[in-house]
Amino acid sequence: MIESQRHSYHLVDPSPWPISGSLGALATTVGGVMYMHSFQGGATLLSLGLLFILYTMFVWWRDVLRESTLEGHHTKVVQLGLRYGFILFIVSEVMFFFAFFWAFFHSSLAPTVEIGGIWPPKGIGVLDPWEIPFLNTLILLSSGAAVTWAHHAILAGKEKRAVYALAATVLLALVFTGFQGMEYYQAPFTISDSIYGSTFFLATGFHGFHVIIGTLFLIICGIRQYLGHLTKEHHVGFEAAAWYWHFVDVVWLFLFVSIYWWGGI
Amino acid sequence: MGKEIELKTAPADYRFPTTNQTRHCFTRYIEFHRCVAAKGDEGNDCERFAKYYRSLCPSEWVERWNEQRENGTFPGPL
Repeated sequence: MIESQRHSYHLVDPSPWPISGSLGALATTVGGVMYMHSFQGGATLLSLGLLFILYTMFVWWRDVLRESTLEGHHTKVVQLGLRYGFILFIVSEVMFFFAFFWAFFHSSLAPTVEIGGIWPPKGIGVLDPWEIPFLNTLILLSSGAAVTWAHHAILAGKEKRAVYALAATVLLALVFTGFQGMEYYQAPFTISDSIYGSTFFLATGFHGFHVIIGTLFLIICGIRQYLGHLTKEHHVGFEAAAWYWHFVDVVWLFLFVSIYWWGGI
Repeated sequence: MGKEIELKTAPADYRFPTTNQTRHCFTRYIEFHRCVAAKGDEGNDCERFAKYYRSLCPSEWVERWNEQRENGTFPGPL
């Protein structure tokens, strides 16, 4: 740290990870296009790109962790910036899902004559919303409550209890993903069964993907809580994970009401 | 001089107020077949629905839908 620093902003050191992440993204894109068009070496380039991105994520976040937890660069004002940044990220995620809901309502509110002008289209055996989907609603809401329990434990300085609460949150998250996987496996329609299958699996599939990301985020928080990285006053990483988890939860509620329930009548 | 030929299309239907009459054609097609299913094709009860859909629908669509009905793959609510 420069000794003459008279401000509390974090001036980051030069890092190779932005360019390595960019190269990984480039290899993933080109490799992905090559793979989907059956070019030789497409799969190899795609895997290499994804591996590169995963490696970059690991080392970049490792550096952030060192800068914050070990070197103390994340002052109050830096934490504020991180919060703003994460909120903007979630706003962009809201827009991402808004697009899928738009596609769903566009297709279902005025079904075209190609699918007989009815929704769900003839021959689609819809899933009963009051079986697995409703159970999953309860599971996800419970995990939202559990993450709040963890937050209160952290604020109260109850470190062990926070780890237990996070473990409970993650456990519920895993059960949710397990049920979704089971329901996907047993579903009587696929993503290629008309616009119904397309909108259903696009929206619920991307939600499932976000649940998995949120679960990993919470697992990392649990490990860091166990290691004593999170304190009463300073736990931005946990807060971000909790916000993300609530976001995923709210998206599910909209999916449940519009796609599973209304869209299945 | 013979009798004047009367040219008529389907009447305006308040259910389909837009310029695009695709759904109007499709609905009349379905109404005709529902009518036939309910009353049989002897009487002239259903004739008007047939006139409506024939004047509204492109003939390729009607051919395709007839084919689909034969194969049992027609997607509409008959």
